[in-house]
Amino acid sequence: MMQIMAFAAFPLYLFGAAWRPLLYAGFAVQVAYLTARGIGLGRLPLVGVHDTLNFLSASLIAFSFPLMAEMKDKKQFYFMLSLLAAAFTAFAFVSKPHAMPLPPVLKTYWFEFHVILSFFSYALFGIAAVLGIIYLKAGRPEEAVPLERIQYKTVLIGYCLFSLSMIFGGVWAYLAWGTYWLWTPKELWTTILWIFYSFYLHARLRQAWAGRPSVMLGIAGFAVVLFTYLGVGLLMKSSHTF
Amino acid sequence: MIFFKGILNFLLSLRTAIWLLLSLLFLLFYGALAMPGGEAFQSINHLPLFSWIKENSFLDTWWLVGSIFVLSLLTANTLFCSVESIIKKMDKRQRLLIISPQVIHIGFLLMLLAHLVSSTGSMKATSAAYEGTRFDLAPGEEFIVKSISISLGPEGYVTDWRADIEHLSGGTKKEGYLAPNRPFFAGGFGIYLKDAQAYPVKAILLEIRREPGAPWAFAGGLLFMAGTIALIAAKIRKED
Repeated sequence: MMQIMAFAAFPLYLFGAAWRPLLYAGFAVQVAYLTARGIGLGRLPLVGVHDTLNFLSASLIAFSFPLMAEMKDKKQFYFMLSLLAAAFTAFAFVSKPHAMPLPPVLKTYWFEFHVILSFFSYALFGIAAVLGIIYLKAGRPEEAVPLERIQYKTVLIGYCLFSLSMIFGGVWAYLAWGTYWLWTPKELWTTILWIFYSFYLHARLRQAWAGRPSVMLGIAGFAVVLFTYLGVGLLMKSSHTF
Repeated sequence: MIFFKGILNFLLSLRTAIWLLLSLLFLLFYGALAMPGGEAFQSINHLPLFSWIKENSFLDTWWLVGSIFVLSLLTANTLFCSVESIIKKMDKRQRLLIISPQVIHIGFLLMLLAHLVSSTGSMKATSAAYEGTRFDLAPGEEFIVKSISISLGPEGYVTDWRADIEHLSGGTKKEGYLAPNRPFFAGGFGIYLKDAQAYPVKAILLEIRREPGAPWAFAGGLLFMAGTIALIAAKIRKED
């Protein structure tokens, strides 16, 4: 049953690109799967690629709800979001779920908040990238300008959550390992990501970077997000390997 | 005079901040690529950063030295821009919108200060301990491991561990315990329980740490968050 639920979100998201109710059905199935898995494990399912990709995928759709009114006639937005959620869900399905008991060091609220906030911010950065792509495709300025403003707001809230996640991670690391900072590739990439979005927020204030250049930064940022999350985790050894 | 004016213009410019952030990105990007394969980086977490930089070749450390230089310029740029912004805009309305970015900047600077303090004065030592092991943390500061308990799950995995301890300082006795995410602080040190084994004898791995930048980092984090939340609230109100 769990296997069916884990898989079912994928076709629903995929066909949700064409018919929106399926997208919401996929979201409902994914949330139900994560809830059932959490109840089965007796903890939040936030460890390993399988759980976190499912969580990221559901977060992407969840954060699109507040934009519903502004994006109601933007079919491209939901099309790209559905494909992104479907891709993450497919990758999650082929990744082995973490079934071992948690290492004692992970049994703390600091860890849970750190991970939840990280993936919320990744989802917002993903939505910002999708908005950026639609901006670049938009022909008329009256259509494009509001998209840039929504992208900026999305990045700003994502940046706030990401900063909070880093602070929670620092407090947890201090309580667990005695230091709020370790020199590992994961920490460095996380810092690169944070500085990248700091750069975006500052650059946007200057006329030379406003509009198209800052929108492109908002798109490129999501590539940094994906490498920080998946690239570093899969290719490099770090303090975040459990 | 022209020279000083040039420096002042450089430090007061948002363009400077943008280029410094971009330079920092490239330096850290190089570091992130160099670090996984570099043998020199095996010891980077065991020494205070400045000691590590001194002990290693410039070929391995140049990007860190460069990052520290860029961060120093960014610190000056942040201070100058923040002061100028407050002076210029203080009489305008929407004070929250003016003050909150500066609170974020102060938070960021405190975090940099934390790293600076830790890079010179941090310390780390590890030791195995058994029930009854005694440590002298400092003259007159004694630390005793009273008992060790280890919980195993039904499949034999270690699910939790704990060590009850006694701390003697200047004739006063204090009891406490160590567990994962539950250090014990005494005499400026943090004592951490890193690992435990049940067989052949109950034993624990302790780590003794001094991280002088931690309070600054925490204060910086709090200010950063307070400023960011205030900024978002102000921006949303302005857009509405």
